[in-house]
Amino acid sequence: MAAMRARNKIRAPRRGFASAKTDDFDSSWKVLSASLTEINTKNASALSFEEIYRSAYRIVLMMRGDDLYEKVKALEEDWLRNNVQKQVTESISASLTRSQGMVEMQDQSNERRAAGERFLGALKARWEDHQLCMGMITDVLMYMDRIISADRTKPSIYVVAMALFRDNVLRAAARPEADPTVYDVLESTILFMIQLERNGHIIERPLVRHCIQMLEGLYENMTEEESSKLYLSVFEPSFLRTSTEFYQGEGRRLIEIGDATTFCRVTSQRISEEQERCRYTLSSMTEPKILHILDEELIRKNIEEVVQLEGTGVRHMLDHGQLDGLRSVYQLNARVDPKKEALIKVVNKRIIEHGKEINASALTSAQGQALSGKSAEDGKKGEKGEKGEKGEKPKEKPVNQQTVSAIQWVDDILALKRQFDTVWETSFLSDQGLQSSIMASFADFININPRSSEYLSLFFDENLKKGIKGKTENEIDALLDNGITLLRYIKDKDLFETYYKKHLSRRLLMKRASSMDAERQMISKMKLEVGNQFTQRIENMFKDMTISEDLSAGYKAHATQTADPDQKRIDLDINVLTSTMWPVEMMTNTKDGQVQLPCNFPKEIESLKQSFEKFYMSKHSGRKLSWQAGMGTADIRATFRRANGKTQRYELNVSTYALIILLLFNDLPDGESYTFEEIQARTRIPNNDLIRNLQSLAVAPKTRVLKKEPMSKDVKPTDQFSFNSDFQSQFVKVRIGVVSGGSNKAENQDQRKDTEKKINEERGSTIEAAIVRIMKQRKKLIHSQLMTEVLAQLSARFVPDVNMVKRRIESLIDREYLERVGEEPPTYGYVA
Amino acid sequence: MTAHRPRDGRLPAEDRRLRDLHDSTRSNIMASTPSEYVTLVSCDGFEFILPRSAACVSGTIRRMLDPSSKFSEALTGRCVLETLTGIVLEKVCEYLLYNEKHKDQANVPDMDIPPELCLELLMAADYLDT
Repeated sequence: MAAMRARNKIRAPRRGFASAKTDDFDSSWKVLSASLTEINTKNASALSFEEIYRSAYRIVLMMRGDDLYEKVKALEEDWLRNNVQKQVTESISASLTRSQGMVEMQDQSNERRAAGERFLGALKARWEDHQLCMGMITDVLMYMDRIISADRTKPSIYVVAMALFRDNVLRAAARPEADPTVYDVLESTILFMIQLERNGHIIERPLVRHCIQMLEGLYENMTEEESSKLYLSVFEPSFLRTSTEFYQGEGRRLIEIGDATTFCRVTSQRISEEQERCRYTLSSMTEPKILHILDEELIRKNIEEVVQLEGTGVRHMLDHGQLDGLRSVYQLNARVDPKKEALIKVVNKRIIEHGKEINASALTSAQGQALSGKSAEDGKKGEKGEKGEKGEKPKEKPVNQQTVSAIQWVDDILALKRQFDTVWETSFLSDQGLQSSIMASFADFININPRSSEYLSLFFDENLKKGIKGKTENEIDALLDNGITLLRYIKDKDLFETYYKKHLSRRLLMKRASSMDAERQMISKMKLEVGNQFTQRIENMFKDMTISEDLSAGYKAHATQTADPDQKRIDLDINVLTSTMWPVEMMTNTKDGQVQLPCNFPKEIESLKQSFEKFYMSKHSGRKLSWQAGMGTADIRATFRRANGKTQRYELNVSTYALIILLLFNDLPDGESYTFEEIQARTRIPNNDLIRNLQSLAVAPKTRVLKKEPMSKDVKPTDQFSFNSDFQSQFVKVRIGVVSGGSNKAENQDQRKDTEKKINEERGSTIEAAIVRIMKQRKKLIHSQLMTEVLAQLSARFVPDVNMVKRRIESLIDREYLERVGEEPPTYGYVA
Repeated sequence: MTAHRPRDGRLPAEDRRLRDLHDSTRSNIMASTPSEYVTLVSCDGFEFILPRSAACVSGTIRRMLDPSSKFSEALTGRCVLETLTGIVLEKVCEYLLYNEKHKDQANVPDMDIPPELCLELLMAADYLDT
């Protein structure tokens, strides 16, 4: 190798190897220009690339590259001006340059369209030729480009040629001495085509697309930045401008039609049309812009009006279950407003309207009932005879109508809720914001009804009492869940708790609960929903029931051991209830302020009572038992001596009070009677309970164990009662229900006032407890902070009245739990 | 691939074989799909047949053969390079194939460049835009 290298010197390249004859610039240029013209006229196949390239190469090597550049530029300009421009302007027919009114006659628009297509076609062909030729020329002049563009700040010959096309073809006057340029004609033609397409005609998209591509391929300046594309700088703005005008008109037109469904349909259609147009006819760069115009002009400016359109708007859709329509409204609104305010407003309004209707109908049915009750009462004072009235009527529907309306209320709300849930799921695509606003609307109207808590509790009561029979576990579950949903909306949960406890206690003591499982399920559901504290007392009620069962069994065993074998024993089932957990006041019906003496039990019962008390005290010393006869029942065996000497035995199931009353008559000789006042004096049964029991014993047609003189529906103090030995019944066992005692119904006005008062008292102490808790922890707190904390703590149970909280603070200060520490701002301190 | 000095105007057997192959496929070129192989011809008549992909490493040749521009070279698949002698073109072809072979590789062996050719090769590289 070394030897080889020594021999072979570096050879100088041979210069001018082909020929020195064509060395001079002019002859090279001659060859070149002839070739370029050939290329322009599309006769390239006869040319040798190598030859042209070599010519250009040589010229550049001769350092005449700049001259070549200029010459080529001039050549192209000349070509464009003299040939291409003419071809293009020739293709412009008169109809294209005419003034452009959008309202044109059909035939005229057809003519214009045909002319436009011709023009676009010609322009497109010229453009493509130019592109191709310039591609070839650039290739051929590659060497020149490389040297010139790299060394100096000159744009490549291709860029220059494109700019030449722009200036000499597009910006040439469409006709001599006339104003519009070719570009103007192009733009108006394309816009016209688009307009045609928007009006439902079919246009030749590829043609338009090509022209758009041309505009995309041309730039305002030589640097060819993305933003200086002719398409973006000139065409797109005017396209967007005309689109804005068009859609403004379209919006007005659609509003005038006044059909929300049409609006939605057309709008969605327009959106996809424009998307498609951008994709296939114009440029995808325009898509977001044109969609923005659609959103702005067509949707945002009109959506509110559309949503509220009378007869076809959202309200109509909601009422007629037009889920598809709602979905498109939702989608359109979502496009322009992430909060969908327009839609939400109407939906909420409609929910509240529905809700108010439900409230109103519940109220009217309840009031109608109350009125009829009152009128039937005629002059009877003191007592609200409503309940007695209803139960007494031998109607098919013994349930208090108010209760029915309460349950109806809940059912209606649930139905409404279901309706909106479906709408929400299928039409609003489970939108979070809408859900919360729908929930808020529900909560609003539910809380407008002051009796919502009571109604809801009644609903549970109804379903837990008998509704559950014959239903599967899943159905029960669903039912309870529905109720729980409503519970979520109720603000005054403590009120609900009160009612629920009251109704529950009735169910438990009267053994009306049809399924303990369901009750427990209910409690656990409530616990999940509202919290532990809420259900604590209710759970304690259940605990009392179980303890009582054990206790009764224990007492029975105890009694059998100790009792006098010859004395007839009375079976006792007893429920010992913790008075703080149970709504005892509600069961006893005491009037406030009045001290109710315990009633007189007959001696049999009295001894039993004492025996149990002894038994109980032996187990739990230091407890006080108070007897609530009002809630008990008794089974007695009654013997009726007929006038003909025969005897007939019946087993009567009566309330404890009725038992006491009936036992009175045991000591009474046949045929004699007691007056009402006498019975009252002997038994000391509370007045209204006595009336109710006497009504069921002496007035109710099927259970007339007592005779009443005079025979009337009402019980007056002077009425005479005697034993009815002719009592007849087709059954051996007769149940004598106490009027109204048994079932849970809606409260009347007085009861409601009572409940409210109690609730307020209870709230007062809850508020105080909260205040003390907070102050104990903080020691010192500004008034406003204390308020917020109290409100926050209590809001789970009820919405405290601010004034009430203030009063409680005052009262705590008076009682020296708190003290005022500062005035500005008002501050409290905790007094330990 | 090697080139030989023409002896009595006859091409070496291998080259001829390749050219025959090329000729037989020429009719295909005329149809539509450009052929796999192209022919490079030096000013003194040597022909080199090499894969199109290899030849197109050179920008000039690539444009010359670009089927969309209808120059005669593109139509025939035959490029007559008037500026290059057979010796230089041989080296150029060697490089084109070398480049093709070691495309996307690192640490490739250097190509042997005879020093006496290097200036001419430089000019050729400039001309061919490689």
